[in-house]
Amino acid sequence: MITVSHLSKTYHNPDGKSLQVLKDVNCEINPGEVISIIGPSGTGKSTFLRALNLLDPPTGGKIIIDGEDILQKGYPIHKMRQKVGMVFQSFNLFDHMTVLENVIYAPCKIKKEPVEQARKEGLALLRKIGLAEKADVYPSSLSGGQKQRVAIARCLAMKPEVILFDEPTSALDPTMVGEVLSVIRQLAKEGMTMLIVTHEMKFARDVSTRIFFMNEGIIYEDGPAQQVCENPVHSATKAFVQRIRKEVFEIDDPDYDFPGMETSIRQFCIKYNIADKCETALEAYQKMLKEVMHKYLPMTLRITHSELSDVTALDFMVECLESSPLRDPDISPAFLEELGSLVKDVIEEPTSRGFRVKLIL
Amino acid sequence: MNKIISHLFFLLMLLPVLLSCSAEQARRPEPESEADLAGLRVATLTGTIYDIELSQRDDISLQLFNAAGDILQSLLNGIVDVVVDDEMIYNAQIRKEYGIKIAFKGEQEFPTAFMFRKDDADLAETCTAVQRRMVEDGSMQSLKDFWLTDRYAEVDSYTHIPDDASGTPLRVAACAATAPISFQVEQEWYGIEIDILRELAKQLHRPLEVKYYEPASGFMALKTGMADVMCGGVFITPERQEEYLFAEPYHHFRPAYYIIDPDAEAQKLGLIPWFKKSIQKNLITENRWKYLTNGLLETLKISILAILLGSVLGIGLYAMTRSRRGWVRAIANGYNGFLAGIPELVLLLILFYVVFAGSGVPPDIVAVICFALFFASAASDIYSTSLDAIPHGQTEAGLALGFTRTQTFFNIVLPQAVRRGLPLFTGQCVSLIKGTSIVGYIAIHDLTRAGDLIRSRTFDALLPLLVVTIIYFLLVWLISALLKMATPKKISL
Repeated sequence: MITVSHLSKTYHNPDGKSLQVLKDVNCEINPGEVISIIGPSGTGKSTFLRALNLLDPPTGGKIIIDGEDILQKGYPIHKMRQKVGMVFQSFNLFDHMTVLENVIYAPCKIKKEPVEQARKEGLALLRKIGLAEKADVYPSSLSGGQKQRVAIARCLAMKPEVILFDEPTSALDPTMVGEVLSVIRQLAKEGMTMLIVTHEMKFARDVSTRIFFMNEGIIYEDGPAQQVCENPVHSATKAFVQRIRKEVFEIDDPDYDFPGMETSIRQFCIKYNIADKCETALEAYQKMLKEVMHKYLPMTLRITHSELSDVTALDFMVECLESSPLRDPDISPAFLEELGSLVKDVIEEPTSRGFRVKLIL
Repeated sequence: MNKIISHLFFLLMLLPVLLSCSAEQARRPEPESEADLAGLRVATLTGTIYDIELSQRDDISLQLFNAAGDILQSLLNGIVDVVVDDEMIYNAQIRKEYGIKIAFKGEQEFPTAFMFRKDDADLAETCTAVQRRMVEDGSMQSLKDFWLTDRYAEVDSYTHIPDDASGTPLRVAACAATAPISFQVEQEWYGIEIDILRELAKQLHRPLEVKYYEPASGFMALKTGMADVMCGGVFITPERQEEYLFAEPYHHFRPAYYIIDPDAEAQKLGLIPWFKKSIQKNLITENRWKYLTNGLLETLKISILAILLGSVLGIGLYAMTRSRRGWVRAIANGYNGFLAGIPELVLLLILFYVVFAGSGVPPDIVAVICFALFFASAASDIYSTSLDAIPHGQTEAGLALGFTRTQTFFNIVLPQAVRRGLPLFTGQCVSLIKGTSIVGYIAIHDLTRAGDLIRSRTFDALLPLLVVTIIYFLLVWLISALLKMATPKKISL
């Protein structure tokens, strides 16, 4: 359906320097495939996607869509774009139109669909994404997640053969990521061909048929989702998919902004889909602080999460300490027992600079 | 609609405030000679001999005005204590009506004559010859007997000698619109100087074409060849003789020093009778409302043409500021910077008296060009502000859906830009309409000048200004409402 060969893209800055974002991208995309494009930032994921529908025209290589070379001179680009839909990170809804008008504007203007029929189909699409009751409001009154769902409906209204998603959840509040991903998941079930640039590793693993790992302007690894996530061929892929997410808090004295820290922990949990562990994390840190750690300030608190292995940990680190704070004779055995039942595991270990208590949540 | 009513109400509220300006004056000793003027506030007309004479004295505070109506009003409102003007400008009837009197008359007499360009000696000589012939056959004396007494107020007795000549008109820059020198009744010019000039025109077999100019503009008009002769009580001074040529003086005028007559029966009218009388005097007598309707049409014509032309030029200018070539952008930015730095009036005068001088382009077209040049700069600014405000994502979304570049611009970007830009555009239109009030400087009888002409005939400041204000207000309101209606509200599918 789409064949990409030796695609390259070089930006020429006004100061004479040039930056090669895409070096040599080759791939084949078949109908019904759901491909997630992952990789570190700045490696050309979005550029590749935007090159496919020529929003950022490539500087070299070939793109064949349905047997036609879309880079040949005089090729009607707008005709191609009617078959290749796109959903943007920043939604880009038309602010001066209502939700329904956003959805049916292109079919009416481009495909000359009769307004009544377009309206009917548009409402059906809105029902599908759960926003039929918002048909007549303006985008400014919608939340980010709702806007992105409308943007998907607008894209679907043109009945595209393939949809390009350019980081569809990156601009969203963590609480709204789920509603957008579930719409994309639904489309995947219906067999829509999709290319999704995403940072949601779990989503990529669960929904995609294939994953492209992009690095340094090329597709570094291309394989079935399961394989790329669990047995990647390249070490760079491995480092990327197994990377650990973390957030660090330096607690210097009892006047630290604890409510602010709690909010950050909550957001961390929502962002990495571990909301169920949020309350445990907060309870564990509060107990630890009250019973043990208040004596050991300043200390460093760290929450870590590995998306692939799904392990979340809460680390309490104190510098220049040689034995575990939990071994203090003042601490009641009842507390240790309580802690033990709250978390999955308690690890006490010395570090290069001090001592660490690790609670596995 | 409520808005307009509240605005009008506000205007009417101002009326008593304005009326109360004519505050009671404390009685003070009346000046009896020029020496007594020390310490007093004196008003006279710009560019007259009195202006030149009085500005030599540093013991009086001199205030200069452009029209006879304005100096009388400043006397009545207590802005000045004494007004100096020709002895027959305010005749017995006017003096009685306004409760003013002549305190004393000046001792010196000043020669008054028609003024010509230096290189136009033939015309000046012909004029002198015509005047001499008129003195000989007695017609000059009968003109003076008619105009330079109190009789001239009798409107019915004006005689109008129709032009029968054809050919290049003798163009007169009249720097006074005041009886009995040169003044208008129902678009026709009368007065002692006009009658003499008619004789001159008859001699030359040319029709007479009179236009009113501000005194300063009149000198420019004569110098640049927009007019052949300047009249309006022009006194002969050595400085003027260096630059211009005078015919023989036709009369020597004496100044009169007018003050408020403390013994006059104060005409205290109630608001309603005053209003009725003012309407009668300023609008109905001699069909003076026609000045206003003609002026309104002129203002409308210049404004609308300038807005249309300026909007189109603005598109070109906007395209230039967006050019890939640096020098094209530099030209556009230079143009905008240049226009931002010069007053509209200055450009108007430069265009009229320098750029288009002698080209035969009519003044109203010059005005349209001038305001269009300014409007283009403002419009291009509005275009860029409103187009830049539309995020690039909107264009990308349009393109990604399958619109062509042109379709994307006209269907998605432009409608949003119009919504953003229209209030700015409306503001600019309003400011242009109000800005056109300066076109009187190049002898266009627009709405503002219409008010001036009525004031110079009736010596009444308040009502003409009030009516002009209301008309401008309604005009601006109408244009704003029309542009608001033009804002697209529904999306056409």
